[in-house]
Amino acid sequence: MGHERDRAVTPGSVAGGSNGGSLLGTAWAVFAKDVTTELRSRYAVAATATFALAALAVVSFAVGPFGGRAELLAAFLWTVILFAAAAGLAQAFVREAERRTWLTLRLVAAPGAILLGKWGVNLAVLASIEVLVVPAFLVLFGVEFRSLPAFLAILVLANLGLSAALTLVSALLAQARAHGALVSALAFPLVVPVLMAAIVGTRRAFTEPGAWPPEWRVLAAYAGVVVGIGVLLAEHVLDD
Amino acid sequence: MWWRWGLFLWMAVVTVAAFLYAPLAKKLYEQTRIIYWHIPVAWVTLVAFLVVGWQSWRYLVTRDLVADARAAVAMELGLLFCVLATVSGAIFSKGMWGSYWNWDPRQTSIFFLLLVYAAALTLRAAVEDPARRARLSAVYGLFAAAVTPLLLFVVPRLFFTLHPDPIVNSAGKLEMHPRMFQVFLASLVGFTGIFFWVYALDVRLRLHQLAREGAWTGSGKDRAA
Repeated sequence: MGHERDRAVTPGSVAGGSNGGSLLGTAWAVFAKDVTTELRSRYAVAATATFALAALAVVSFAVGPFGGRAELLAAFLWTVILFAAAAGLAQAFVREAERRTWLTLRLVAAPGAILLGKWGVNLAVLASIEVLVVPAFLVLFGVEFRSLPAFLAILVLANLGLSAALTLVSALLAQARAHGALVSALAFPLVVPVLMAAIVGTRRAFTEPGAWPPEWRVLAAYAGVVVGIGVLLAEHVLDD
Repeated sequence: MWWRWGLFLWMAVVTVAAFLYAPLAKKLYEQTRIIYWHIPVAWVTLVAFLVVGWQSWRYLVTRDLVADARAAVAMELGLLFCVLATVSGAIFSKGMWGSYWNWDPRQTSIFFLLLVYAAALTLRAAVEDPARRARLSAVYGLFAAAVTPLLLFVVPRLFFTLHPDPIVNSAGKLEMHPRMFQVFLASLVGFTGIFFWVYALDVRLRLHQLAREGAWTGSGKDRAA
C-alpha cells in the first residue's frame, strides 16, 4: 500500500474519507500507489500490451497482405483495443481482492476517491497500450490517416468512456465469484455505444481529410454519463 | 380474477383484429401482422428495463430486499420479452429482406440489450450473499439503465438502417392507418397488462422464497397468502 500504510488511520479520518474537499488528493494518492505498484511489477501493462500485439498480429495474418477497407480496418483496431482493455483493466480491483488489501483501501480512502484513482490508473494503462498498438496497426496494415487530429480526439474520448466503464464493472466484479471470466460478459454490452461510435469516427479519420467526426458527441456523452453514474453510486459500488 | 379473464379476452380480440380488422401496410404486405406483436414486446422490454432501473434505485435508497426481488423479476421478464422481440424481428427481417439476421443497427441494439439482461442475471448468479447480490445488481442495473438510451436511440442513427421508421417518425408524423393504429394500441396495452400480471405473480413467488430462506420477514398479508 506504499505510503498510505505508514499513516495512523481510522475509518473516515483520512483525506477523502469523509470530506469532499480532499477527494482529488486522495484519488491522486490511490493513483500514485497503483502506478508505483505497476512500475514495480509491470504486470498490467505487459500482459495487456502482449495480448493486444498478439491479437493484432493474428488479425493482420488473417487479413493477409492485401489489407482491407477502411470500415474493416477501423473495426479491427477497436476490437483489438476493446479485448485488450477488458483483459487488462479489470486487474485494478481484482488485485486488491487477491492481495487482501481491499479493506485497508476502503479504510484509508472514500469510495469516490478510490474509483477516481483507479479510473486514472486504467486510463494510463490504456493510453500506454495504445502508444504501442496504434503505430503497430499502422505499420502492419499499411494504413494512413487523412485526419490525425480527428483520430486523436476519437481515441482520447473513447478511452475516457471505455476505461470508466471497465473500472466500474471491475469494481463490481471484484466482489463476486469467478470475477475473471465475467468481465467480458458484463462489460461488452455496456460499451457497445463507445465501440460503435469509435469505429465510425475512426473510419472517417481514415477516409475524410480534415473532417471532424460528429461521433465525438456520442463519445463525450457516454464518458459523461458513466463518470456521473460512478460518482453518484460510488458509495454503493464499494460499500462492503 | 375477473381482470385476468378480461386480459385473455382482450388479447383474443387483438389477435383476431390483427388478421381481420386492420388493413395491410404499403410495402410491408403480410409482414404487417408482425407489427402487432413485435413492437409491443419490444416496448415491454423497455418497460421492464425502466422497472429494473426504478427498483434498483429504490433498493439502494431503502436497502429493502423486496425492491431487489422486484428488480430481479423485471430482469428475468425483460430477458424473456427481449428474446421474443429479437425472434419476431428476425422473422420480419426474413420476410422483408430475405435473411433472418443482417446486423441492422436496430437488430444490433436489441441483441445487445438482450446481452445486458443476460449479463445482469449472470452477475446475480455469481454472488451468494443476498445483500451483496442485491447491491451489486442494483448498481449494474442503474449503470445499464443510464447507458441503454445511447444504445437504443443514438447508436442506430450512426449507421444506415433498413428498419422502418418508428411509429412516430423523425418528422413527428404518425404514418399508420387509423384501424392499424387502434389494433396496435390495443396490443400495446394488452402486452403491458400481461407483463405486469406475470410480474406481480413472480414477485409474490420470489418473496415467499425469501421468507422461507429467512432473508425477509414479510408483511402479515404476504405471510397469510
